[in-house]
Amino acid sequence: MRKLTTALLAGLVLTAGAGAALAADKTEISVARFFGACEADYGTVTDVTKANGECGIITALINKFNAESTTTVVKPEIVEWPGYDQLTARIRSGEPPVISVMHEAVISDYSSRGLLEPLDEDFAKAGIDVNDMTDASRQGVTKDGKIYAMPFDTHTWLWHINMNLFKEAGLVDGAGKPILPKSTDELMQQAQQFKDKTGKPYFISTLANETAFYTRTFDTLLYQQNVDFFADPTKVNFSAPEAKNALQLLADIFSKDLTTKNQDYAASVSAFAAGEGGVFICGTWLIDTYDQESKKDGALANGYAVTAFPQLYAGSPRVWADGHSWVLLKQDLSDAQRASAVEFMKFLWDNNYEWARTGHLPVRKSIIESEQFKNLPHRGDIASLAVNGTALPSAVKRQFSIQEIEGEEVGSAMRGDKPVEQALTDAETRINELLANAK
Amino acid sequence: MTDATLSPGKAVAAVKRPTGASIGPRWSNALFVAPYMVFYVVLLVYPLFKGIWMSMLESDMFDDTSKFAGLANYYRLFNDKIFIGTVWNTVLFVLMTVPVFVAIGLLLALALNRSDRTSATLRAIFFGTSVLSVTIVTIIWKMMYMPGNGAIASLMRLLGLEPIAFITTASLALPAVAITTIWWIIGLPMMLFLAALQQIPGELYEAAALDNASRWRSFWSITLPSIRRTMLVVVIYEIVAQFQLFGQAQLLTQGGPNNASRPIVLFIYEQGFRSWNLGYAAAASEILFLIMAVAALAQFFASRKRVEE
Repeated sequence: MRKLTTALLAGLVLTAGAGAALAADKTEISVARFFGACEADYGTVTDVTKANGECGIITALINKFNAESTTTVVKPEIVEWPGYDQLTARIRSGEPPVISVMHEAVISDYSSRGLLEPLDEDFAKAGIDVNDMTDASRQGVTKDGKIYAMPFDTHTWLWHINMNLFKEAGLVDGAGKPILPKSTDELMQQAQQFKDKTGKPYFISTLANETAFYTRTFDTLLYQQNVDFFADPTKVNFSAPEAKNALQLLADIFSKDLTTKNQDYAASVSAFAAGEGGVFICGTWLIDTYDQESKKDGALANGYAVTAFPQLYAGSPRVWADGHSWVLLKQDLSDAQRASAVEFMKFLWDNNYEWARTGHLPVRKSIIESEQFKNLPHRGDIASLAVNGTALPSAVKRQFSIQEIEGEEVGSAMRGDKPVEQALTDAETRINELLANAK
Repeated sequence: MTDATLSPGKAVAAVKRPTGASIGPRWSNALFVAPYMVFYVVLLVYPLFKGIWMSMLESDMFDDTSKFAGLANYYRLFNDKIFIGTVWNTVLFVLMTVPVFVAIGLLLALALNRSDRTSATLRAIFFGTSVLSVTIVTIIWKMMYMPGNGAIASLMRLLGLEPIAFITTASLALPAVAITTIWWIIGLPMMLFLAALQQIPGELYEAAALDNASRWRSFWSITLPSIRRTMLVVVIYEIVAQFQLFGQAQLLTQGGPNNASRPIVLFIYEQGFRSWNLGYAAAASEILFLIMAVAALAQFFASRKRVEE
């Protein structure tokens, strides 16, 4: 018995030692990402098809990569969205992660200072066909003729709809589709009708502690009116009467109590799932989450729909858009580290369909055109977004800071803290001051 | 026997005594203060002057080709409505919090200046919040302030009142940050006052009692004069600390709504780390340094005058 125990223990020690040696042989690379932390639910999941939502799918993807790769171990470093302050500090202190997730709108700020590695040659060697990239994603990661990132998705702004409440409000047509406004007047009338019938606000909005809602909605309303507010990439122009119309519309929605008013992102995401309002204006990334909710008992049970931002103004159907991508930070990397980084990017490229299940638009033409993608829930309802998603011109610097300032000023006017004209003038002055001093 | 005459203002060489000891300057003694001086110069004096120099540069976070801009950053600051707003917000915040720290800190110290177990427990509870990180504190207070399901909103609904949106209302955001800060930090002034109260000789109160002095009279004529120096320490420390408001505002309100709760340090952070405009951020830091120095010195001289009187 004692011999058996000794043999078992020796075997265990050898196995553990061999495992440790195997792990030690692998090259470790750090990958900084947002998308949240969900180790409790997905910490050991390697079957990506079993994961849902942004956090679940990226966690499972990394788990799968670590399980399958014979050469590389990815060490995820989870940061609070959007994480650029932290990334900037890490770069400045000489300790950047090997790979970081980055919005396409931000890439040029870093690439223009030589902080990112160009990836054209690495992609060619790894077999990543850049011609398979969608036009939007390829444009988003290409700066000064070079590719600086592996695109991961294109995401846009849209309407998540609680069909159960829409039915109660009489806003569902004979075909079971939501009746959506075709003008600002119709919007106000339908929102009031919704409120009268259900006792709830038409909109759920993320108005506290975040500026994304204000900027993305306002930009979309400007695009819809064909306002080219960055005709000159070094100066913003909000002086058009269309800008005032758009901001006044948001202020009216707020002052007439047609939206929830004090929710932060987490509260508004939960509020829509709990049926506290009819429409949640947010991004593509929640489609899968709410689709899963609609399969359970609750406020969204069998009653979730999603649609592109309705056309409220006669103009263009363009809508705010951006994209997530993966960049390789410039630093003293060994050949093995660089090879591991490209191996991980190739893995993400190969698994782009899995990421597209979140609701984001894929970055590969071959996936967008595939039946597999088209058969995902609600994708037919948002197909137009692939064409209409619009980003700021890539020559515009400091796009995240601009979005922060714009959001603050739009928010001030929407909430009634500042007159509409004053907010537009202040936004213009502050952004132009920022751009005048941006290198 | 060696005779040494020391005259003031005149350097005197060290004179050896027969025992081996000596009087007069011995430069080897500087070694005792050298470690402190090294850190002081490297971590305080050098950054101070480096900051002043940077404030006169047009300097970008990742650009090594900064160019001299003179006082242009300061000129820009004084014409920046957002910065002027942050100065006003910060001064207002200091005015909201420092008097409260002194008043409530002293009241708590007076109430808990006993040796029974209840007082010891309460002292630990009141000081306990000070050890929490700003992240934990703001999470707790977000849960208090949320107008939907927050604790205060629930209480108000229970009383039949409409919940107040503290952190999304321009006029209430800064007071909300102030309340959070007071709850968080009140333990420290309380402890400082407690330490001072325990230094007051009991005989003074016994003599006052023999003279039939009222409690108010004892407080006014014995307690307050005895803790005046501690009060000065608390006031100056809190002025300096509260001018540096950052974490609570960033995590609770992000400076909003409409810049109503954006303090100077958050402005500096945003200019430095988001806009990468280091020269401009450094200039704002120097303005903050000046304001803090003036406020603390004014308080110091005013209090010293009162003590001397």
